Amino acid sequence: MHIPDGYLGPTTCIIFYLIAIFALYLSFKKASRKLEAKEIPIISLLSAFSFISMMFNWPVPDGTTVHMVGAVLIAIILGPYAATIAVSIALLIQALMFGDGGITTYGANVFNMAIVMPYSGILVYRGIMKLFKENEKMMPIAAGIASYVGINLAAFACGMELGIQPYINPGYFPYTFYLSVPAMLLAHLLIAGPVEFVVSFSVILYLQRSHPEYLRLPKLNFLEG
Amino acid sequence: MKRAILLLILFIIISPLGILLVWNYGPAYAEWDHIGSWYPHHFWNLAPLQDYDVPGWDSPLLASVGYIISALVGVAIIISITYGLMRLIKNDRLH
Repeated sequence: MHIPDGYLGPTTCIIFYLIAIFALYLSFKKASRKLEAKEIPIISLLSAFSFISMMFNWPVPDGTTVHMVGAVLIAIILGPYAATIAVSIALLIQALMFGDGGITTYGANVFNMAIVMPYSGILVYRGIMKLFKENEKMMPIAAGIASYVGINLAAFACGMELGIQPYINPGYFPYTFYLSVPAMLLAHLLIAGPVEFVVSFSVILYLQRSHPEYLRLPKLNFLEG
Repeated sequence: MKRAILLLILFIIISPLGILLVWNYGPAYAEWDHIGSWYPHHFWNLAPLQDYDVPGWDSPLLASVGYIISALVGVAIIISITYGLMRLIKNDRLH
């Protein structure tokens, strides 16, 4: 899902850079006020886990691959602002060190994987938990569903960004979203989504049983200050 | 926390599975280096470990070693930067 350089025209790159910078500014501001000292090693490790989880490429039957991101899981453990920071740092190092994802497209990649994914995921998660009156037994399944939805919305956003290029900046990504969106969604609905579901489900179930204190950490959420 | 670090090390060691299991597959979705005859213009060719490998290490075995090195380097840098940045913004608050 890491869009390389040359795929998005200047208009798209600039718009998404502005959105990414604004989101990162808000997230760092929130972290400086709300993140607790004991959470600093946790967000650092989660950022590394997000990075390494993206190195595991999963085969798609049509001959390409997908990978998970882990942004929704981070959003559930530390809040969506923390997920934006953790995933953005992983994406930055991927682009600079490994040529994975472009420099000009960094803003769009942050938007898809570090903004759309954790925020849509946490909304779905909170929605399901409210629906079941905060029943703790529902936490792993809610986390799984939220992660499934989150990565697919990220893939949808990625497909849309690619697919509008022929209309606004010809010469960049050559196909319209009639092609790019179904291609992105198919792979993520079938493979990346289920992987994301199983990982989030398992991690939350494990934490619930063995280390419930990690599910009660102060979170960088929207509503609290 | 100790278990999480051990798990991270385990993931680094088994990371080559991430390329070996899909050796004959293309790249991840939307990460293509070209589409048919259309090639994008590349702006950044200075990545020291391009495609998570030491340049020139192309065989499955060498690429696996390159992948582990990349995983190790990436994890080390990401933990340092996240930890450093978070400490920095917290310290700012104290002054």
